[in-house]
Parts: sequence; structure tokens; C-alpha cells
Amino acid sequence: MPYLRSLFVLVTLFSHAAFAQGATLGKEKYQDCVSCHSIKPGENLLGPSLFGVYGRKAGAVEGYRYSNALKKSGITWNEDSLNRYIADPQGLIPGGRMPYSGMPDAQGRKTLIAYLMTLQ
Amino acid sequence: MVTKLKQADVVIVGMGWTGGILAKELAEAGLKVVALERGDMRTAQNDYALPNIRDELRYVIRQELMQNASRDTLTARNNLSQEALPIRRLGSFLPGEGVGGSAIHWSGGTWRWTDMEFKIRSMYEERYGKKFIPADMTIQDWGITYAELEPYYDKFEAIAGVSGKAGNIKGSIQNGGNPFEGPRSRDYPLPPLKNILSSKLFEGAAKDLGYHPFPRPAANASKAYTNPDGSHFGACQYCGYCQRFGCEANAKGGPQMTVIPIAMSKPNFELRTQSWVTKVLKDASGKKATGVLYTNLVTGEEYEQPASIVLLCAFAFNNVHLMLLSGIGKPYDPVSGKGIIGKNYAYDTGVGSTLFFEGNSFNPFISAGGTNIVMDDFYGNWDFDRSGPGFVGGYIVSAGHNTALPIGYRPTPPGTPRWGKEWKAATAKWYQTSMAITTRSGVLPHRHNYYELDSTYKNAFGQPLMRLTFDYQENELKMGMHGAEIVNRISQHLNPTHLVKASSAKRSWNVVPYQSTHSTGGTIMGTSPANSAVNKYQQSWDCTNLFILGANVFPHNSAYQPTGLVGALAYWTADAIKNHYVKNPGLLA
Repeated sequence: MPYLRSLFVLVTLFSHAAFAQGATLGKEKYQDCVSCHSIKPGENLLGPSLFGVYGRKAGAVEGYRYSNALKKSGITWNEDSLNRYIADPQGLIPGGRMPYSGMPDAQGRKTLIAYLMTLQ
Repeated sequence: MVTKLKQADVVIVGMGWTGGILAKELAEAGLKVVALERGDMRTAQNDYALPNIRDELRYVIRQELMQNASRDTLTARNNLSQEALPIRRLGSFLPGEGVGGSAIHWSGGTWRWTDMEFKIRSMYEERYGKKFIPADMTIQDWGITYAELEPYYDKFEAIAGVSGKAGNIKGSIQNGGNPFEGPRSRDYPLPPLKNILSSKLFEGAAKDLGYHPFPRPAANASKAYTNPDGSHFGACQYCGYCQRFGCEANAKGGPQMTVIPIAMSKPNFELRTQSWVTKVLKDASGKKATGVLYTNLVTGEEYEQPASIVLLCAFAFNNVHLMLLSGIGKPYDPVSGKGIIGKNYAYDTGVGSTLFFEGNSFNPFISAGGTNIVMDDFYGNWDFDRSGPGFVGGYIVSAGHNTALPIGYRPTPPGTPRWGKEWKAATAKWYQTSMAITTRSGVLPHRHNYYELDSTYKNAFGQPLMRLTFDYQENELKMGMHGAEIVNRISQHLNPTHLVKASSAKRSWNVVPYQSTHSTGGTIMGTSPANSAVNKYQQSWDCTNLFILGANVFPHNSAYQPTGLVGALAYWTADAIKNHYVKNPGLLA
């Protein structure tokens, strides 16, 4: 049991480190988004603020004019939905307003989402 | 009654590329800067966002981003014997209005003009003899060099987010770029845009025939980019709504997303929109500008804004107009050839072929302002011998789709009816299959192409409109004939299903249809007050605290688009003011 416990601690620590590293790499990936999306709470540019996006309902930032398609999507932003949206925005939400053709690189999306999760 | 406002260090007329660059640079240098813009404040989030921006009716037909011709316009005629009439609806050229100016709706074409322009008269005389230049072609050396401007071209390209491929880095020719360009200190800040099918076809044919095609350099960010000032660009989405539209993705470089917001973050900078400048004021000696007179368009009230330095940064037409209205410098007289202000108006021209390839799908709605391949073998290439065709200048050749509007772009082969069922069937059949190959030449100045104040028509402020007298000359015809032959050779090499050949004929300029917004001259640059309105720092010879920026200082036009040089000269002038003029006001040497 002591052995198992230490292994568990090790694994948790490792994944924390991996997550942190992913978030750092993801901050670089966020450079694709930065011209339209702020990470400051309440600062809406061409796109809505990404502060607190993880776990939020789609279309919920106050003061931002969303498309009907996005407002009615019923999506909550989690790892799966963010992954699908960033890969192909029009594929997941046809008629959305975001002029971005998608990030094809799966590893890049993963790190970007890890970064978005830190914006709380 | 005119209200006199508090003195500023600098007053700027117009908030496009040049006004924005000067505003940022001089505000950062600590000067108190006031900018006056006749149009509205517009931002990407409020005005250029999806889905509203993709609206041909608003932005193409109703020209919402353009100068309001019901308030002020030009009168136009082709020659001295005609009566000039007002252009009541903009057509041939489309000056922008509002914060960002014409850089909101431009395509982004960004070129470096070289010593071939700046030493045009001496280079042509040396190579071809004095008699080669027609007597009425009023070209002159500018008094500036490419080497002086190179760092400023570099700066502007970095700020505007230009995508391209270098052809000459420090004298070493680079594969895939323009081998005829001037030596660059480094490559473009961003790699070229994607190569679309129509451009690829042209590129292949041009290479087969021994020419040197390369991607058109353009301020359309090929990927997300942060410029040296920290301004962020999104990646171009090839949405097809570039020229005449604001950018929905923050990908098209413009002052409204770069230099202007930085200036606006400084407490010593103030921007007043809806402010229409009617006159530059002078002191009793006439040798010093004391500020400007302007009208608040919302209230109709008139203000005097005093300033130590006056910068004219409006569209080329409006800078010249203000000079004429303010009585600074001697107006040009086309009969005697004397006088300066209004001299050497120039424009551009070109010829083109249309190719139809049955079965091809070009997807013309997918494009950017700069999705073109271009070749410079008959312009920047000084080895190209002009003695046979007998013209000064030359042309670039390009192909590819650029803002092929889903509604407005309707190519059909010759013989198709202009309306009805058959037209509908033809436009559906051929829409996907068509591409064009075109040339672009700068018009060379002629002693009868010029601006002056109109004697009949007035603007909304009761001031005389500016009258433009302009027509094409023999030199343009010769460039067109030579260009048509080359375009047709390339077109035939591609073996299209139908080919509408390029041709050139003696024709007069008309105010419709749209051609280009590249108007140059009027307050030209030169080596002395006898031959020019400004020195190489864009500084007025008449009032040394007055600077006139923009393409209006170009003594002639080029086959290259003007904005790269307009931007470089703006940074060059900003440096001269910050580092020399402020410490030691007076004529810069």
C-alpha cells in the first residue's frame, strides 16, 4: 500500500507538471486568437473575452453580440466541445460569427484548451 | 464666430496611414498632438465584424466607407477645352473617409519604389538620351534615394504585417521572390499568402515563357502576427471581401488596428472626428502656418486650432485642395507651365485578357486582397530595353482572384446576351471557370494633367471644388500595346476554352467605371522650390512648419501600388521631425 500510494502521488504530480507545460505551450497557441479575444474579464473585442470560458455556457458573456446559431447551440464549453469547435468552428456551429478556419493540429488544440482552462 | 482653441504642438489633418503614423510617433516623442478627421470613428468590433461586413449593397453600391461626394468632390474633364462637371457619384477612384482612411478598404498591396523612380529623369536620359523623353512629359528626379528609405520601408512592412517573398536580400537574389526589387535588409515579416488556382496557372505559364513570377506583397497577414509595436493580427481567412470592405478577422494591416490605438492611449494625443478642415492659416509674413480652421460637422461651429507644426495627412486630393484653398504656394498654370501647386497629377492604367476554362473550378469567392502572382520583367527590370517600344515606365503583369464579389463578379464569354434566361444560364455555367491576366502601368505626368480650383462648382462649405484635368497620352498607349502582346502570349500558352484578348487603343479617361484609387501628384517633391512644393522630408518650401504627406508628393506614378512608399515616407518624415526639426525648427537639409 505505501508503494501504491507513492505511485499515485507521483502520477498526480506528473500530470500536474504535464498540464502546466501544456498550458504554457497553449499560451503560444493562443497567439492565433489574441487579435480578437482578450483574456481580461469583460473585455470584448471582435470576439468575446475568453476569461472563464471553460465550463461556461456558449453565448453567455454579457454585452457581446453572439450569432443566433451560437446562442441556440446549447453547448457548454468543456474539453470535448472546445476541441471540436477549435478544430472546425463552422462544422460544430454552422452560422457562427467567428472568422477562423480552424486549428488542424490536435496536440496544439489540446495545449490551447489546457491554457484556456487556466483563465479562471 | 470662430472659437480659438488652445495651442497644440502639432495638428494633423486626416487619420489614415500617414496621420496615424505621425500621431503615434510624435505623441510618443512627448508632443501635444491634435488630430482632426472629417469622418467617423469606426472599429472592427462595431463596424467590420461578421456578418454585416459582407454586404455588397452597403459597401460596393452605396460606398459606405468612401468619401461623401454630396459634400465635397472633384470636377473632372479630359482637356483644357472641355467644361468640367462634378463627379456626383464616385467611380474611377474611391477615396476612403473616417478613422483609418482608405486603408480600411484597400487590398493591401505594398511595394518598394526604387531609384528607377527617384532618379527617373537622369536614368532615362543617361541610358536613352534626352530626346527619348517627350517634351510634355514633366518627369523629374525626386531628390531622395532608395538607400535612405530602405529602413523605413522595412519599418512600414513590419508594422502593416506584409506577407511576401523577398527577391533580393542585401544584393543576394532569392529564389521565388522578385529578382528586380531593390536590395532589402531582410525578408518580409510574414510568408506569402496561399497560392490559389488561377495564380498557379499564371505562375506556371510565366515561368514556361522565361519570366520571373512571384507572390504579390500584401498587408494581408498569412498567419497570426504580432508587430514590433505589439499590435495583434489574425490570420487572413481568404473570405473574398477585401477591397472596399473592412477586415472581419483583423488580418488586413491598417492604422486603425496598429498606430492609431497606440496614439489614442497617450494623454497628450487627442482625436476629434467629424471635424472638417477648411483652411490652413498663415501668419502675416505668409511663411509660417499658424494652425487650421475647421468646422465641427455635428454642431456646425467653427474653430481655429493653433499649432506649431501643421501636418496635411488627408487623401491625396484633399491635401492638394487644402493647399489651393489656403493660398500656399503658387498654383500651377498648364499654359505657361509655371507654378507648382496642382502640377503633375498622375494615375494608372492597364490592359487585360479574360480566360475561360470549361470544367475548371476556380472558387473565385475564396481570395484575399493579395492572392495574386505577379511579374516585374517589364518594369523593375532596368535591363528591359524600352528603346524599341519607345515608352518611359512599363508595367507589371498579374493574375489571380482578388475580391471577386459573389454578386458583382459575373464573367461570361463574348456573345452572351446581357440579360435574360440565356445570360442566367451563361453566368451559372462560366462563373467558376474564368480568370483574368492584367497589366498595371503608372501614368507618367503630362503638362496638361493637373489640378486647380473650379470656377463654377462649390462644396457644402461654399468653397470651390477642385478641378481635375486629366487624360491618357501616347506613352500610356505604347505601354498598353506592349503589355497586351505579352498578356496575350501568356494567355494563349494556357490554352483556354475561350480567350478575350487584351488590346490597347487610344482612349480617353472616364470617371466610371472603377479603376484604382492611386492618384498621385499635386504637391510634388523635388530638389528646389523652383521645381517642387516639398523637399524630400515632405516639408513645404513655402511654410517650413507645414508638412504635406502622401502620394500627392509623388512627381509621377509607378506600375507599383503607392502605399508602401506612402508609409515609408511617413516614418521617414516622423524621424526628421522628432530628431531634427523639433530641436532646430526651419528648413530641413
